Amino acid sequence: MIHLLLFAWLAGQAGTSDAMQHLQAGLEARKAHQIDVEIAEFRKATESDPNMADAFVNLGSAYMEKREYGAAIAPLKRALELSPELPVAHQLIGFALLSQGYSAEAIPHLQRVGALDALGIAQIETNQLTEAVSSFTAALAQRPGDPDLLYYLGHASGLLSKDAIDTLLATHPDSARAHQALAENYFVLRQMPQAEKEFLDALRLRPELPGLHLELGQVYANSAQWPKAEAEYRAECKLRPGNAEAAYRLGAALLQQGKAHEALPELKRSNELKPEMPETLYSLGKAASLVGDGATAEKTWLKVIEIEKNTSLAAQSHFGLAGLYRKQGKTAQAQREMQEFQKLQGAISPTRSE
Amino acid sequence: MPRRTTRRDFLNYAALAAAAPIFEVKPLRGIDFLLQNSPTPRKFLIETMPGGVALFDYNNDGLLDIFLMNGGRITEGLHVPENFERGNPRYWNRLYRQNRDGSFQDVTQAAGLANAGNGNYGMGVAVGDYDNDGNSDLYVTSYGKNILYHNNGDGTFTDVTAKAGVAGGGWSVSAGFFDYDNDGKLDLFVTRYMDWDADHNKICGGDWHTYCPPNAFPATTCLLYHNRGDGTFEDVTEKSGLAAKKGRALGVAFADYDGDGFTDIFVSNDGMQQYLFHNNGDGTFTECGLESGVAFTVDGKGMSGMGAVFQDYDNDGRPDVLVTVLPREIYSLYHNEGGGSFNYASLEAGLGAMTSMSSGWGVGLEDFDNDGWKDLFVAQGHVLDNVQDIDASLRYKELPLIALNHKGRFEHADSGVTKPVAARGVAFGDINNDGFVDAVISCLGGPPILLLNRGGGDNHWLSISLQGTRSNRDGYGARVSVNGQTRMATSAGSYLCSNDKRLHFGLGAAEKATVEILWPSGMKQVLNDVRADQFLAVREPERS
Repeated sequence: MIHLLLFAWLAGQAGTSDAMQHLQAGLEARKAHQIDVEIAEFRKATESDPNMADAFVNLGSAYMEKREYGAAIAPLKRALELSPELPVAHQLIGFALLSQGYSAEAIPHLQRVGALDALGIAQIETNQLTEAVSSFTAALAQRPGDPDLLYYLGHASGLLSKDAIDTLLATHPDSARAHQALAENYFVLRQMPQAEKEFLDALRLRPELPGLHLELGQVYANSAQWPKAEAEYRAECKLRPGNAEAAYRLGAALLQQGKAHEALPELKRSNELKPEMPETLYSLGKAASLVGDGATAEKTWLKVIEIEKNTSLAAQSHFGLAGLYRKQGKTAQAQREMQEFQKLQGAISPTRSE
Repeated sequence: MPRRTTRRDFLNYAALAAAAPIFEVKPLRGIDFLLQNSPTPRKFLIETMPGGVALFDYNNDGLLDIFLMNGGRITEGLHVPENFERGNPRYWNRLYRQNRDGSFQDVTQAAGLANAGNGNYGMGVAVGDYDNDGNSDLYVTSYGKNILYHNNGDGTFTDVTAKAGVAGGGWSVSAGFFDYDNDGKLDLFVTRYMDWDADHNKICGGDWHTYCPPNAFPATTCLLYHNRGDGTFEDVTEKSGLAAKKGRALGVAFADYDGDGFTDIFVSNDGMQQYLFHNNGDGTFTECGLESGVAFTVDGKGMSGMGAVFQDYDNDGRPDVLVTVLPREIYSLYHNEGGGSFNYASLEAGLGAMTSMSSGWGVGLEDFDNDGWKDLFVAQGHVLDNVQDIDASLRYKELPLIALNHKGRFEHADSGVTKPVAARGVAFGDINNDGFVDAVISCLGGPPILLLNRGGGDNHWLSISLQGTRSNRDGYGARVSVNGQTRMATSAGSYLCSNDKRLHFGLGAAEKATVEILWPSGMKQVLNDVRADQFLAVREPERS
């Protein structure tokens, strides 16, 4: 692509006849994939005519092709001195500088030609994280689903997040948010006692902060301290009665403790707040089944199957329905659901939770 | 003059009594056994699996004796054919005879049980009187070959494996005697874990460098031996239909779950679905775990089935199933609904909150407080000795779980054990004959733990010894009901272990009992007005 641009641009250029001859020879060598000859000819062209921008651009391009990025920088810089608007030279020098670690220097060149992906990388390397996220987001709009761009966007976002948290911890170490951030970090590392302590510290400072009880509940749930988890989820539900996740978590915690009668209204409430969430529906079916409300169990599990089709939740719902129908004496339906369960299960390999 | 007890004092005492540990952790006087599992950096999977405990009265003196299975020596250079140096006394299985004063004496060598064979890494033990001579025989399982020891009745045993034809092979784990065809002779069932040997071992976990999960190795079949009655057994694994189902079996428990008069088999499999082999009554079995509802969790997921028990926890007269598993799962309790159907009952029974962070192995449903409800006891400890590095919220060594049964719902209680251990097997029995069920736990790399029931309280009890005449002499397979409670007569269950074959019933406040026995022969026997607080021997009537 760059070579095509070069050819187009060269059409309008002029220089000494000796320089032009070497330039032409260099272009012929490029066509013949003789890269060392190409470099030698372009170098001679620049020596014959030190003001011939196209010779310097081509020399830089040849070095780039040979992956000698450091060697490419000087001729490309000279080209831009001679012709500051030259887009190809900006693009090439931007890449060359970036590859050599001169990210800050590369940025204006990459900005000028709109090379968003390379620009984003340069911005990450110069810790311009907000700008990097913008660059990758814009690049993704042009190339949706590109794996490299998705990776870099995630990477930049993560660094930005870390940067913000580091700043928070450095500037407001005793704030509720700082404790919350530390707690979340410990939670990810599965260091539950430390996570619990930090969440409790955060709650002591700002007991009304949304989400804290929910997160602390998760810490307790992860350590199988279900009564404590239940208490935290209840507190979150009281603070945010419109939060579907809090209601779902509370329902699940109650279910885990065998309190299906109490779980059922919470799961119903969660489903009303945020309808058709498969996890909520599945648990709702489970709670309904445990309290003997076969109609609700059947309805919700059928809904899960309709939404999920081939996932493990759908398989679980078929399994639940099979048990339900078996209890109701509907043998044929039970067998059909069990067959569906087995069919789906075949595609989901068994795991051991270690 | 002593101060008068006030109502407040009484409430305080009551609270203290309620919180008191169930057991006293007692040193086993005269027992110097260490379970040698020999962990190595090569993480041979067998290292983390032993060892069995049997509580049985080998010399018929009325006192329970203790048999302890040992692993063997493993070195990093272990290759096929493996040598576990079982001839070295350090690696012997051990039999300890109980003395009248409660101490124990090592009688291993005199009993002829010393060397279990260098190629055999020890696992579990089963006890049963397979020749109906009134003496309890021993069957020990191994990675390698299994051994049947005939009890000669004079304090010695004879290795009769070759004649009996029950050596098995591969990796055997739990075993149990039962009479599947009701011919009055005990047959033998053996679980096998997987197709494994030292040359095909794997290490998993990447940088964590740890034991592999079971699905890293091929599945295999269990073994069923039919007792011909002449001291020999026939391998009927194929003929019975059991060979059709390969699995990764660890535990086994027996009960007639559908009341058709034939003993069925529950097998706990690791990392997959569980098996329930229905006894068709014609010498064949049909696996019906899925249809009956015991194959998966309530969410239709396979589980890490380890130990199993098949007894009636809610006093409805039907045997229920309980399976111990690894953390992030829940010990699975399946309530027998009748009609051959089970319902997952872990959550309602309170096990969801209690067991999701623990690794369970040996398990029992025994009435420790004699209140008439079977309580739950589980020997616990993770498979991976470095699990704490992998998941900081889990522990390799754990305290055992005891949960008291309050009319079908379990509540956590204090076992009295304060030091976590890597427990594996646990066997139950009334070791000191005081009317309260005790337990012995095996621990990897350590001595066994004796948990002596503190007893106390005003509850009554009844302990029944069965003597079959038309049925097998041990009465295994009998269904015994006492004041509305039911026990299936068996010494099998748990993990790798064999329990006291006497049937223990807590009677609560009742001073009298009605005992109803349905013998495997089909004979029904009823004993009325039986006095509580006694060891009752019941002989099966010769004629109906």
